[in-house]
Amino acid sequence: MIRPDEVAGQPTRTTPRAPGSAPKPVAHPPDRRTPRGAGPVRPIVAIGVAALFFLPLYVALVNVFKPGDLITKEPAALPVPPTLDNIIAVLTRPDHLYWVSLANSILVTGLSIAILTVLAATLGHYLARSRSRWVQAVTLVLLCGLMIPPQAILLPVVRVLQATELMTTLQGLILFNVGYYIPFGVFVFTGFIRTIPVELEEAAAMDGANRFQIFWRVVFPLLRPATASVLIFLGVWIWNDFLNPLVILGPSRGTTVTTGIYRSIGQYQADFGSVFALMFLATLPVLIFFLALQKQFVKGLTGGASKG
Amino acid sequence: MVEGLNRRRLGRIWHFASFGGPGLAVYACFVLAPIMISFGYSLTNHNPFNPPTRYVGLHNYRLLLTDDAFLTSLRVTTILTLIVVITPNVLGLAIALLLDRRGWLYNALRSVFFLPMVLSSVVVSIIWTRLLDNEGPVNQALRAAGVDHPPGWLSDPDYALYSLGAILSWQLLGFCVVVYLAGLQSIPTELLEAAEMDGAGPARRFWHVSWRLLAPALTINTVVLMISAFKIFDHVQVITRGGPGEGTTATIAFLVLRTAFEENRGGLASAQAMLMLTIIAAASAVALKLLRRREVDL
Repeated sequence: MIRPDEVAGQPTRTTPRAPGSAPKPVAHPPDRRTPRGAGPVRPIVAIGVAALFFLPLYVALVNVFKPGDLITKEPAALPVPPTLDNIIAVLTRPDHLYWVSLANSILVTGLSIAILTVLAATLGHYLARSRSRWVQAVTLVLLCGLMIPPQAILLPVVRVLQATELMTTLQGLILFNVGYYIPFGVFVFTGFIRTIPVELEEAAAMDGANRFQIFWRVVFPLLRPATASVLIFLGVWIWNDFLNPLVILGPSRGTTVTTGIYRSIGQYQADFGSVFALMFLATLPVLIFFLALQKQFVKGLTGGASKG
Repeated sequence: MVEGLNRRRLGRIWHFASFGGPGLAVYACFVLAPIMISFGYSLTNHNPFNPPTRYVGLHNYRLLLTDDAFLTSLRVTTILTLIVVITPNVLGLAIALLLDRRGWLYNALRSVFFLPMVLSSVVVSIIWTRLLDNEGPVNQALRAAGVDHPPGWLSDPDYALYSLGAILSWQLLGFCVVVYLAGLQSIPTELLEAAEMDGAGPARRFWHVSWRLLAPALTINTVVLMISAFKIFDHVQVITRGGPGEGTTATIAFLVLRTAFEENRGGLASAQAMLMLTIIAAASAVALKLLRRREVDL
């Protein structure tokens, strides 16, 4: 378990106060974290701003449980009484759009991040430990990959996939995901592996372990925080990917949840209830994932922010 | 002796092949080689439906210099990038300052702001398309408030690009909030206390202490927002499809794909993509260099 203060900041930041000693009434440097005499202004303003920010999501959410005619008439009203018709309509569509898209998204995301983790961890380990003079060049070339927009490579990728008959297949999309997102994975892993003392691996080598045993039994278990970051971020990115499945899976065969939603907005036209229900159901997995792992999200994002 | 050397060499090759090789091979096939092929295409009149492909030198690039659609897309992308770099940065800092307190309430609110970051851009786009519809909730509210002719946020060419900028800012705001919050919370309390002892008020404490120490957070936010803004495709595709009118919201990323897959002008699209890549690389290098200079070590 991760304690909140580990995530929010180092525990040493607040000024320590002797236990039991009451705050002195004299001029006393206020502790930013526990403001003295703090009025209700800050929490009220904070809640107000957050509520305003949340408004679009609130409208989307209430409309999932509202019959179609009320969605256009009173979009912001609470759904009383709530209806599950929209959700049932999506789940029981005759073409199984939701279920097919969900299965495709799970397959593509799951396999992509599993392969990415293995390849990025091993490549990251190689780059972090190798003393070859090529390593810096290779690292630089991978670094460039972080910046390349898919637009700059999709046309040749489509030709490559067509030539290998992987176009419009999930395998093709997964392969492209692995190639496209591997720089991110490698950087997370390389940075992390550099902080692990190499002596551990040397000791295991003395004990007669081979390279694979050393990596999978000694190193990889220590990489858990990095693995978590990679799985979380790439998982969300690939789940939400729109352009790559749109181009690679093509219009005719197979959709992921994002391209499924995109295709449905043309079909449903005025039936916003179904669109909102479909979006809700497609977002639910990633939402649960986020709410369960939000601390790791924040930790992964801010690792570099304070260090620079 | 010689055999030992060979064995060590073989070991090194085997190490590379088993650890470095697979990842690099996929990267080479799906990123490196395509980039080079893209560059190659950009020097040809490549069109899959109209072979043969001929070498045309820099013709495509010359064409783009006077191509209205391309120049418009540059303008659109620049405006969008400015909006997306500035708005979430400013609002994100303000909200981070507001939320820079401990407790479950502030943690929960931080998650609220971060939520749109984990939503698919398609979902965000459809929600906002609905909200900003001419007869949608926003205009209903405006009418109720006495505005007789609320603007067509997404259907009026004068508004669409800015509406798009606002939507993107809303989605990316949470990233800035989280990064600034982490930056604020890494500032040693002693520094702020010392400044207060010296008689500095909240404004001066912020300007002379916090803001300076937030330099790394500003760098990250600016560069990440800039790169994201340059790549904006999903929102344009779902919300406006480049319209209303002639390319009023067609970003470079959108134009490249339309040229490549709808007009099938592979050569021209590749030239656009190469220019796009060059601009991203140059802009982020300059931004990184300028912003890094501000960063101080504690």
